[in-house]
Amino acid sequence: MTNLAVVFFTGLTTGGLSCLAVQGGLLASSVANQAQDDLSAGATNTDPHGSPSASHVALPIVLFLASKLVAYTILGLLLGWLGSALALTPQVRALVQIAIGIFMLGTALRLLNVHPIFRYFNIEPPKKITRYIRRKSKHSDGQFVTPIFLGALTVLIPCGITTAMMALAIGSGSPIAGALIMAAFIIGTSPAFFGLAYFATKLGEKMHEKFLKVAGAVILVLGLFAIESGLNLAGSPVSFTAFVQTLASQRAASQVAANQASIPVTGEAASPASSPAAGGAQQPASSDTLNMTATSQAYSPQVIQAKAGQAYKLVIDSKDNRGCGRSVVIPALNLQTTLAENGQSVIDLPAQKPGTMRITCIMGMYNSRIQFN
Amino acid sequence: MTTQTFDVAGMNCTACVMHIEGIEDEIQGIESIDVNFKKQRMVVEYDESKVTEEEISRAVKLAGYTATNRKDA
Repeated sequence: MTNLAVVFFTGLTTGGLSCLAVQGGLLASSVANQAQDDLSAGATNTDPHGSPSASHVALPIVLFLASKLVAYTILGLLLGWLGSALALTPQVRALVQIAIGIFMLGTALRLLNVHPIFRYFNIEPPKKITRYIRRKSKHSDGQFVTPIFLGALTVLIPCGITTAMMALAIGSGSPIAGALIMAAFIIGTSPAFFGLAYFATKLGEKMHEKFLKVAGAVILVLGLFAIESGLNLAGSPVSFTAFVQTLASQRAASQVAANQASIPVTGEAASPASSPAAGGAQQPASSDTLNMTATSQAYSPQVIQAKAGQAYKLVIDSKDNRGCGRSVVIPALNLQTTLAENGQSVIDLPAQKPGTMRITCIMGMYNSRIQFN
Repeated sequence: MTTQTFDVAGMNCTACVMHIEGIEDEIQGIESIDVNFKKQRMVVEYDESKVTEEEISRAVKLAGYTATNRKDA
């Protein structure tokens, strides 16, 4: 599952301020109208420069944000459900993940203003909807209904970072995970929205330009991460994880070679012993068994050495294995299976030609591989 | 009623589009503002007896962007 803390922090920092620009105007207008009604004072119709009192401001903001949170959580639920419906197989899921990553990269490059072509990575709500919401926010006289109504309507006018999070929710492939992603993000953005009531929209606008750059960088990283996950899930030999695993494999091989050179050859003592510490690589524990450990943090070792042309039993020892790590995928075998939370699971591996067999979790986040030599 | 097309500089996302289009509710005489983010343009339909091209450009400037009439470009 996508790290919710990262999603929350994205909302707290860049998301809040950039989304303020899209949706903050609604909140400001709503609050300004509320104060105007209550105080019969001359607040402007766009910015609450009339400094309405905290008691008049707090309640509509809380209602607005609560309504927004509920609306986006439901949206996340639906998007996660859509993702689960789309991601029928690991291959489809990999494609969705890569497409999401490309969308996020495009969004990031648009925010960083790299080239006009990236403006196409922008989802614009229909003019009729934005016009309706804008006018509703300025001319509604409902005291508490308006903030609730407007808060819910913000789902129709998502900002760039929100759409990136929506893409993540689809990619999660789970209604619960999708709802949690959107909820974590919206909760993260809430302090900035709440601060709006006191500092008005102008502060957000001044900082907007700078924060867009930061937002672009954050989404760029998230996008690369999504593409990486998709490539892993597809079993692609071209990915950052594959590169790291190759390095680990090479390091382990050179270490084994060094050990062989330094230890006198005396029968079986020369055979390389199981050594998970050696660059994360491990030799087979017995002639027909390969061992791997799955926790809620990682699969280990990163590289398992095996002989080509021989069938094996892959014994996966789960230790407190929660989250997406429980659903393991071996793309080369077109195999997807669920591991125990604790205990051993055995997968039969038919004899393989020399090469690499990738093992990944359903999200492409946890990875290992078997090197058949 | 007159229709003019302006190049708009400084737009980053949907927020800017909504911000600029909001001007149509604030200045009397503007019938509609249609902003195209991808082309970085806006088409303004307005009553020139009530509002001038300069006033429209000034309003966009106040919103934080720069509008240049395409016929002047």
